[in-house]
Amino acid sequence: MTDGLLPLLVAVPVLAAVAPPLLCLRTTGTGWYVAAVACAVEAALAALVVRSVFLGGAVRHVVGGYERPYGIELVVDGLSAPVVALVAVVSLGVLAFAYTAGPRRNSFYSAYLLLVGGLMGVSVTGDLFNMFVFLEITGLATYALVAADRSGRSAVAALKYLILGTTGASLFLIGVGYAFVETGTLNMVDLSERLAGSYGDRAVLASFGFILVGLGLKTAVFPLHTWQPDAYSYAPDTVTTFISALVSTVAAYAVGRIVLTVFTPAFFEAVPAARAAVLAFAAVSILAGSALAAVQTEIKRMLTYSSVSQFGLVIAGFALVTSDAVLGAVVHLVGHGLMKGGLFAAAGVMAARHGARTVGDYARLGYRSPVVAGAVGIFGVALVGIPPSVGFLGKWYIAVGAVRAGAWPIAVVVFLSTLLTLSYVARLLERLYFAEPTEPTDPAVGAGTDADAGAGTGADADSEVGARDPDPVADGGARADSRAPAAVSTGMVAAIVAAAVVVVALGFATAPFEAFLERFLGGVFP
Amino acid sequence: MLESVPPFAPVLVAAVVAAVAPRRIGHAVGLLATAGVAVGSLLVAPGTHLPTALFGFETVLYRVDAFSRLMGVIFGLIGAAAVAYAHASDADARMTAAALGYVATSLGAVFAGDWLTLVFFWELMAVTSTLLVWQYGGAAVRTGFRYAVAHGIGGSLVLGAVVWQYAAAGSFLFEAATGVVGPVAPALMAVGIGVNVGFVGLHTWLPDTYPSPHVAASVFLCVYTTKTGVYAMFRAFPEGHLWIAYMGGAMAVFGAAMALLQEDMRRLLSYHIISQVGYMIAGVGIGTKLAASGAFGHVFNHILYKALLFMSIGVVIYRTGIEDITEVGGLWRVMPVTFVSYLLGAAAISGVPGFNGFVSKGIVIAEAHKSMKTLVIGSKSMPLGGEDLLWWLLIVGGVGTFMSFIKLGYYVFFHGEATIDPDDAEPGQAVPMLAVGGLCLALGLLPGTLFEVLPNTATVAEKYTTYTVPHVAESVALGVAGFAGFFALKGPLARATWIPDVDRLLNPAVFYGGRALVVGVTETFAAVDRAVVAVASAAVDVGRDPGRAAYRVVDRLPGLETAPRADGGRQTIDLRMSMGTSVFLVVAALTLALALLL
Repeated sequence: MTDGLLPLLVAVPVLAAVAPPLLCLRTTGTGWYVAAVACAVEAALAALVVRSVFLGGAVRHVVGGYERPYGIELVVDGLSAPVVALVAVVSLGVLAFAYTAGPRRNSFYSAYLLLVGGLMGVSVTGDLFNMFVFLEITGLATYALVAADRSGRSAVAALKYLILGTTGASLFLIGVGYAFVETGTLNMVDLSERLAGSYGDRAVLASFGFILVGLGLKTAVFPLHTWQPDAYSYAPDTVTTFISALVSTVAAYAVGRIVLTVFTPAFFEAVPAARAAVLAFAAVSILAGSALAAVQTEIKRMLTYSSVSQFGLVIAGFALVTSDAVLGAVVHLVGHGLMKGGLFAAAGVMAARHGARTVGDYARLGYRSPVVAGAVGIFGVALVGIPPSVGFLGKWYIAVGAVRAGAWPIAVVVFLSTLLTLSYVARLLERLYFAEPTEPTDPAVGAGTDADAGAGTGADADSEVGARDPDPVADGGARADSRAPAAVSTGMVAAIVAAAVVVVALGFATAPFEAFLERFLGGVFP
Repeated sequence: MLESVPPFAPVLVAAVVAAVAPRRIGHAVGLLATAGVAVGSLLVAPGTHLPTALFGFETVLYRVDAFSRLMGVIFGLIGAAAVAYAHASDADARMTAAALGYVATSLGAVFAGDWLTLVFFWELMAVTSTLLVWQYGGAAVRTGFRYAVAHGIGGSLVLGAVVWQYAAAGSFLFEAATGVVGPVAPALMAVGIGVNVGFVGLHTWLPDTYPSPHVAASVFLCVYTTKTGVYAMFRAFPEGHLWIAYMGGAMAVFGAAMALLQEDMRRLLSYHIISQVGYMIAGVGIGTKLAASGAFGHVFNHILYKALLFMSIGVVIYRTGIEDITEVGGLWRVMPVTFVSYLLGAAAISGVPGFNGFVSKGIVIAEAHKSMKTLVIGSKSMPLGGEDLLWWLLIVGGVGTFMSFIKLGYYVFFHGEATIDPDDAEPGQAVPMLAVGGLCLALGLLPGTLFEVLPNTATVAEKYTTYTVPHVAESVALGVAGFAGFFALKGPLARATWIPDVDRLLNPAVFYGGRALVVGVTETFAAVDRAVVAVASAAVDVGRDPGRAAYRVVDRLPGLETAPRADGGRQTIDLRMSMGTSVFLVVAALTLALALLL
């Protein structure tokens, strides 16, 4: 019965996305309500599907009754179910955040719903070309959302993302094309069967290389991450929260799906160089991302580089192709979405309340916004991987997988990444709670220390930011920071706290994750 | 009642009393306590008394069997004689207190029923004997320090062996295993005890220390440390050991040979301790019941005559203040009592028939005859070797003993006319000397009495007859060889006194080696410390301001530049990539991936 719901998962948000522009004819303030209804329906559908997967295993739907290899198949199995659940929950949560935080334009919610539809599509499709299509939908919607700040910088960031994202998608498409030429099918299961035995072919290898680089760009793995810092930094905080939690996550899920279902572990056994290359790619990303994060002074850029590092971990988990590592990768995928989304939301609240955009600005905010700062602490500590938290669980299983697979360099890198993560999280926490009390209006005090670059609250404090990022809105306007939420409601804070609670609670949720993955992994690892 | 008081307790009390009470009373109490121990050791019932827990382990504080009884009797007896002698020799009350503490700890060691208690008293013995040496002051401080170092090392080795023994046997008790077991413990134990008994090479502390303190202190020292070592060696290797037997033989020859070269009276006697202990160690090493009994008989007798010799020579030094044999001479006329007691002791140590040394040394030599069947150097029947190598060593040692005591006696009591006119021994010195000398003679004439004290009395009495023609002939031959040898070699021996012992090398080696070790360890630790501090402060710097650390790294990397900020603030690196660079990176990554895969 539930297999009929799969097309709805994609169709509901896409169709609903049409409504806000139409409503614009009459009113401009109703987009949020349309999105709320659509996301609620989406969440209900997702709940039903995930429950069905949990109880009965993979759910399949053959679109239009055309069986493979010609038809299109939608599948939710143990690997995609957690991602489906994450997309549904986060889109609902961010929507709640956006009610007060804005933007409230109808067009924004149209793009929002399109993005939800694209993300769901990538998660549930069982077809390689469909995956490309949904990735493009995701990408286009994201470009629009990044530009939603309507400032020059966000437009440039969106353009950069557009050019690079399209390049990445094109590479992915070329890879799919090679695979199609080699096998004559686009269905993932079919592909995996027909690829078996021809792993050494140049076309197959080229296909893998193109697909991986394309998805690596979408995931923002070092050194393909260059679009991400600008896109995340200059997008409105609501958008950053949303896309940081989901867009790269779904791209990383796509990597896992391609590696595990299409190319299968047998490919890695036949071509050890491929596995080594992906692992090296991931390891470099983990270390470089963490190191870059540690040297940032702006909060949003720091969190962005942190994502580069964390997705390196996820890719490493998938590429290790052991059941522990894959479990860890999925857990970290979900966990990172929640932690990073929560952190960006908290950053938005801090910017709205205190104008804090840099690490230095966070001095002693732990005493002025104790609840949000506490949540930041929880997310940060979870990101480092301190139990009990979902961050610990993911890293732990990836590390265990690395050790069991004998991939000692990866185990060492995971450990190092923990230290590097600690270096920037600790810096943030030190600022929040242990900074020396300073006179916020005295610019001389901050010179040469982290407490400089104070932004937002006054013209004098803004000079630092202004010198680096000429921002026409920042000076003299009614709102010092157009990216920050318009206001902070109790509901927004509650959403952040709820995310923090979930992050800690999922730290005890090994069993459900294992239950989800058990059947899927049983198929992958004979 | 006797079973409930471990012998070390009354002596320890006496030591405390001697330290605080007036000199006369202190010495009297010490005399009573040591004499009481000798009598008590004879009367106490055999068995384990006073099982207790030391440091949480099952231990026995007071264990009596034939071996420890013998040690107790002789330790108590000679303790009493030495206390009396010390009193007559104007020994300081504190010296006697230290000596009594030394006696007490030695008694604790020989009556211990387990290795832990033994090593506990063993270490205390090293401490109390060092105090006894140091108490004299002057040059004795330096020798005492070397003594302490040697015994610290030896004691540590024994302690290590005891720990290993516990790991192997599961208990410290002697009953838990036959001697020392396990792969490492025997070697550690042999070397550790070897320091105490003066194994060749480990012996340097002995002739170094014993001549340096008060003459009465020397009497105490010559008795307890080495003999406790022999006792412990027997406990560790009750079934003997080939290498230990040979080491005993080597000690017998080496000690006698070195003694021959000495001109310092007490130093000569000290080397002879090594030689005599060699006989005991050989007896323990041979491993037969009779040989062990002979070794312990030799312990008993040796304590008597060696203490007697130290007392006699002590009187000479006490009266003349001269320690060098070449500076005195012809004293037999002016010091007849001293001469007689020296003669008794020298005859006993040389094994002249009719003296106690003849009895016990005879047992060991007889057991050594044809004993070395397992390890034969050369062919079995080779002259001066083969199965009889040990026997020959002991015989040569016997000749050396004769020669060196002829030398000592000749130079001190004859050799020209007396140029000085010192008084003879004090009555308080003469009484213990003559008593001990009389005992040497009595036990030699009535060997059955000695056998009564020995372990395995029945075996000894059955298997060994003291006075047989070959035994006596052997002794006479040794004596003749000794006389002939000494007077033939008198000239060369007098010129060969420059020959050094290994301590000429060992002491600097230990000193500079120890200093190098200390400096090396200190410097290594300092280097590690500096490295750790540097890493820690670098980490603190990076953690405090990762940005600045990154800028500093960038400054050092070729090809990257940082630019000062326009507002004069901190330097900055622009991490923002242009779109062109980004696309280039994508293409480069793709190229790399394809190059790797294809």
